[in-house]
Amino acid sequence: MIGFRLAGQRPPEPTRVTDTVVTRYEHVYEVDPALMTEHIRQHDFPAWETHRIVASRWEHLDWMHAHWADSVVSADELLADPPL
Amino acid sequence: MSEQSEPTGNGHREAQFAQEWRNAAYNCYSSGHKFCREVCPVMQVTRDEVHSPTAFHANIVAMEQGHLSVEDVARDYVHCTQCGACELRCPNTLFTGDFYRFRTRTVDVVKAMRALAVDSGVHQPNWQRWVDATAQWKSEPVLGDVPVSQDHVADWAAGLSIPVGGETILFCDCEGAFYRTSVPRAAARILQAAGVEFGLMREQWCCGGPAAEMGYTDRAREFAEHNVADWRQVGAKRIIVFDPHDYIAFTEDYPRYFGDDYQFEIVLMVELAAELVRDGRLQLTHPVERVVTYHDACRLNKRKGIHEAPREILRAIPGLTFKDVDHVTQWSYCSGAGAGLSIERPDLTAEISRRRVERAAGLGVDTLVSACVWSERPLSEQGGKRDEPVDVVDLLELVAQAAGLDGGRAGPSATSATVGTEGTEAAQ
Amino acid sequence: MTATTVSDPVVEELVQICGADHVFTERSARYNRARVPAPFPVHRWSEYVPDVVVLPTSAEQISEVVKLANRYRIPVVPRAGGTGLTDGAVPLRHGILVDVKLMNNILEIDMDDRTVTVQPGINMLKLNEELKPYGVIYPDDPASYPCSLVGGRIGTSGWSLIGGRYGHTRDLVISFEIVLPTGELIRVGDGGGPKIRKSSTGYQLKHLFMGHQGTLGIVTEATLELVPRPEAEFAAFFSYPDYDSAWRSTGSLAKSGLATLAGVVLFDEWKLSYLRRDDEAYIPQPDSVRCVVATAMYGTTDEVRPAAKRLLRIGQESGGNYLGDEISQGDWASRHDRYATPLHGRTPSGQVVPMSWHCEDASINWTALPLVREEWHEIVRRLIDRHPIFDDWGMFAYTNGAFKPWGDYLTEIDVGIWEQELDDESWAAWVQAKRDIAAVAVDHGGSISACHGACREGEVDLVPREMGGGFDVMKRIKRVLDPLNIMNPGKYLLDQAYEEGEPS
Repeated sequence: MIGFRLAGQRPPEPTRVTDTVVTRYEHVYEVDPALMTEHIRQHDFPAWETHRIVASRWEHLDWMHAHWADSVVSADELLADPPL
Repeated sequence: MSEQSEPTGNGHREAQFAQEWRNAAYNCYSSGHKFCREVCPVMQVTRDEVHSPTAFHANIVAMEQGHLSVEDVARDYVHCTQCGACELRCPNTLFTGDFYRFRTRTVDVVKAMRALAVDSGVHQPNWQRWVDATAQWKSEPVLGDVPVSQDHVADWAAGLSIPVGGETILFCDCEGAFYRTSVPRAAARILQAAGVEFGLMREQWCCGGPAAEMGYTDRAREFAEHNVADWRQVGAKRIIVFDPHDYIAFTEDYPRYFGDDYQFEIVLMVELAAELVRDGRLQLTHPVERVVTYHDACRLNKRKGIHEAPREILRAIPGLTFKDVDHVTQWSYCSGAGAGLSIERPDLTAEISRRRVERAAGLGVDTLVSACVWSERPLSEQGGKRDEPVDVVDLLELVAQAAGLDGGRAGPSATSATVGTEGTEAAQ
Repeated sequence: MTATTVSDPVVEELVQICGADHVFTERSARYNRARVPAPFPVHRWSEYVPDVVVLPTSAEQISEVVKLANRYRIPVVPRAGGTGLTDGAVPLRHGILVDVKLMNNILEIDMDDRTVTVQPGINMLKLNEELKPYGVIYPDDPASYPCSLVGGRIGTSGWSLIGGRYGHTRDLVISFEIVLPTGELIRVGDGGGPKIRKSSTGYQLKHLFMGHQGTLGIVTEATLELVPRPEAEFAAFFSYPDYDSAWRSTGSLAKSGLATLAGVVLFDEWKLSYLRRDDEAYIPQPDSVRCVVATAMYGTTDEVRPAAKRLLRIGQESGGNYLGDEISQGDWASRHDRYATPLHGRTPSGQVVPMSWHCEDASINWTALPLVREEWHEIVRRLIDRHPIFDDWGMFAYTNGAFKPWGDYLTEIDVGIWEQELDDESWAAWVQAKRDIAAVAVDHGGSISACHGACREGEVDLVPREMGGGFDVMKRIKRVLDPLNIMNPGKYLLDQAYEEGEPS
């Protein structure tokens, strides 16, 4: 049965990507938490919050494409089909 | 021309509040681009900047600078359904909220300002009466002058032979328990048909969510403590909820109250129903001949990102013609019923619902399906007023019908029918 | 000069005109209509608060309010979205704030002569959602697309991200009705007919009012162009190892002559460093990626596909490396609401702080871009050295021409400002920096502002220098149309128009 459990919402520990950026989930980047200690603190951010925002962002971008045009032409596709 | 406000008795409390919310306020105020305005259901109607999420944040900066007091702004904060559209749409959430683990939190700002108002003795009269009645009767006064009580809180389950207690509890919210009883009845019948064991609470009180949303934080906490104690006493491990407002209360408010002690699994009925249908434990074999569109419940879609399960269910119901509007477009939609707006500004809720129903009618449907029992009262009222009425039904009512279950008449119960749809306004 | 206090008889008359429900004297109503997103001296908020706010619902009401203002000599400040970036809607002398947001209806959709007529309080994204079922679009596309309103687009003479294909606000607004500073309601367009696009009858009055910043009246209705909805969108982002090759490539792409090319955007090295602060599309790009050029095309599928191939070839032949569909498509879609995130602010030690965002928007010819970039970054660097509450967020250059993506560029430097720490000294330093930045634009043959307007404290001092003899004409026009200096007084140094003797 699918349900919400508080214990399951704890985010994994971060791994470093660059000297200012870390990652906890695949393809999701975060600022190094050490940079948010003096003037502004991070929020309590359970896993569902991160996933909701990431999913919503992609959905919003898809919506924007569809808002402006009926289709999107892929450059990767054009480049794979020579000659240009 | 514009003098500093005189220090009031609440000055210290306001200064502390402004300090606590300073970074949240400046994160909006330093931007001020107002991507929130056009998705806000209240702003779409009033077009008044004092109702905007921008103003809700700017007021805190103004408070810090001594320009505004809580008396000046308390009424403005009534104008919010806490639907979450603004804080999701805000680029500070949508584009970088996950990167910084810091997002726009307009809902929390509104709740906190409303709590500051209450703590400062600035009350909204209808909210105060509503919360007092809830504290007295342990359930919300959803039937207006007709009292609700613990003696009748489980009347909706008559004839369904649901036991009390157990590992899995079905939590029934106040609007469902007393007004639109067909929704909990449908939920119960679905669970029984699919062989899911569950029971009811011994003493079910209001979840406390509405009190928290209106700023009555002590009351909210009181209800929460009682409910969790009741769950613990019957050995509950899992709570099934059908009302999105309860889902929010149990997955956001209650963890804040109880911390790591809070071990319960919270199951949303609509996600469970989708799973039951997917797994074949619930067979949808009776055609439902309706042309429908789905109203994304704000607290599921915007606040939680839950929008696929209801659509999966609708696509599985035979006989149904489903004309969908995507869930991103629906970030700007709302019934206007949430966060006490319908109690203090029923005229505004009515207009927001009227516009929602008109959008549905424009698709050529005969039915608007919702997954939020609170939205169904104002939506039904507006749907019924049209020359070509649009019927408003709950998703669980449709599922029960499609599964051939006798869940009772879809719509408000016989008792609530005598009260009519003015119930909330009549809570004087 | 206007200096009259708003008193109860005035409020009473406003109530007679607009109705009690639409006249507001409460502090929150007034304090929340003082600023726009441009950096604001928070510590001096009270100086910019109007005396009373009205939300009219008709042109007649607006006309009566303006006439009342003339009778009592009270300033009037129009406010549409309040999303402008040059303080156009910020009251400088308190007065009556006329908020047009309640006037947000679509009045007519004409699919035959291809126009939509709207009220000034409507937002373009919301308008286009209503137009979608008709297969048409109103392609006025600023970075504030989801939040700016048609009235403000006219007030600022807005710029569109895809103006290289479809034109900018001044090209897309066919005609509009406006209440003049003395209260008369007139229609202006190319000529007299509301749906006429090109005329030579009389003076070209529409362009006089484009970008007036609310100093010449209040728009009450506008007739807009309807364009066929694009079948296809194409976006391609290229990376470069240095600014010079990116700049040259920008020139080649912009001058390609491809009719469906909607825009070309050049990101400089500072901008790439800034973007590396957050995930978006730039992590994990190698350090060798120093600059980026973004391109986009719109049109029918059979136009766009071959044009896209040619554009990709030009991009690659001019030294660009295609960054892939995920970045190109994702980042392009985010350009319609690409405002700066406050938390991208950093102190010199690298700590995150919320910063307000200044967006410079000069118009600069392609040949001058490299030098302007160097001089601007130097100005900001000196500012940060003395006041570490500022931050350099890099530069963009966007094609600026209408219907042709070459010639000049909307050239933007983004400066972060830690508003919580602003005081009089740092504000004064900021104002001087703005003056210096504007001077660079003018000295290189450019314009202080491509699209926001040039009303901001600091830069406004250079408007007479930029306009030359034109500034005198501007003053004369203002004096003639607004004899009592009622409409948004104090903007654009136009008080100077009234210095020779009292208004009659």
